[in-house]
Amino acid sequence: MTILRRLWTPRDGREPLSVPDALRRAELRRREGRYVEAGALVARALEIDAGNLHAHLLAAYLHVARRATAPAKEEFHWVLGHDPNHARALLGLARIAFEERDARTCHDLLRRALSFYPEFPEASALLQLVRAREAAPPAPAVPAAPRIERLRLPGTGRALIIGRADGGLIASQPVTDDAKDVSEALAHTLQVATAVLRRAALGPLHRAIVEDRRDAVFTRTDGELIVSLALPRATDPTQGLLDVNRLWSATQHELGLAAGPPAAAPSSTPADTPGAAPTRRVS
Amino acid sequence: MSGPRLKLALEYDSASRGRHVRDIVQELKRLYGVRGALIVAPDGFVIAAELPGTVEVDSLAALAATLGRELETSATRMGRPAFSTALFSADDGTMFLAASRIGYIVVLAEAQVSVQAIRGALADAVALIEAAWAPGEARAWAGGVRGGRSSLRSISVGGRFGAPHVGDL
Repeated sequence: MTILRRLWTPRDGREPLSVPDALRRAELRRREGRYVEAGALVARALEIDAGNLHAHLLAAYLHVARRATAPAKEEFHWVLGHDPNHARALLGLARIAFEERDARTCHDLLRRALSFYPEFPEASALLQLVRAREAAPPAPAVPAAPRIERLRLPGTGRALIIGRADGGLIASQPVTDDAKDVSEALAHTLQVATAVLRRAALGPLHRAIVEDRRDAVFTRTDGELIVSLALPRATDPTQGLLDVNRLWSATQHELGLAAGPPAAAPSSTPADTPGAAPTRRVS
Repeated sequence: MSGPRLKLALEYDSASRGRHVRDIVQELKRLYGVRGALIVAPDGFVIAAELPGTVEVDSLAALAATLGRELETSATRMGRPAFSTALFSADDGTMFLAASRIGYIVVLAEAQVSVQAIRGALADAVALIEAAWAPGEARAWAGGVRGGRSSLRSISVGGRFGAPHVGDL
């Protein structure tokens, strides 16, 4: 019976396919980024052998590839339910925990994976990142009365976030309820970017530009302070970097971190937007 | 768009997509000032890579995919549009990251590389992937994503299976 189930000819005209064949083909499709076809093949494999661990693992990967977290977790948990030491499933869940900002769970899952397979480069790299976050130095003291309110956005500027590498918000413009969350998310992203740059032997992160269909967010950091300026997407990168550099120097000056006056860099637009709300220090 | 363009054919059949993905990576690697490139799936799986021998591919890919997902999930949390490209500049080089249907395209370049040239090439690469994977995969993909708590069945071509422990499928 088992043999019959493993070589099954469906009635809908599809070619007969064994489970190993279906999974081998699914792996190939996945290697080519052909997730739809890979998904169809995994589905066929599971039709024949619903308890196939490899098929469930592939299903989890394909859900992750489609950014479908909940079913991916379900599949990874199914695999771990049948093989509690499955390092790839542990890594998969750890990655999801990291995305969900659950550092403790992520750490525990990676430690479990590495206890079974100490030479697991992906798990090691992610664990290093998690540990770096946990071991982040305490935030430097901000002077008692920084004059951050004097900072102004360029004319086309949409938002300014001044924060610390630990995610703490120093100031924002405009002052919004979600500025703290933005600062935290920004710091989190830069920590991951720093880890990637180090892994690629490119050195410490200094500048970033992140674009979506609306904005281009220009960021400068020294590993402790973060200054991030959102400008329209069409902004020339050189000009955007000049603008964030100007704000960086001004911020350092106002925070008492730089001795001299702020460096003068030309803005793409009038530096002080008439009527713009001043930047408010919030921490 | 200024800068070098990726010179690749657009006649894709299903079976040749894998080769085209590798071609895209190789073309990116040939650009002036580029040290290496890779395409990594959101789960960290390396689809294609052309990296210097000194870089450990799997670890870099795992972290690059984590970064791509971080950018996506942060945007979602903030109610912002998904990121399209990102650049991270360091002392000894610059890393570019672009989001595509199949994963993230990563380019490692010299510090002084032309940002416009690489951004243009990345936009071309994303467009080529979109062209190669559309319309069939695009429709199925969109259908799966629209379906909320998505299932493999929503992206499969009519498969049916009844595993009770994988009810979501």
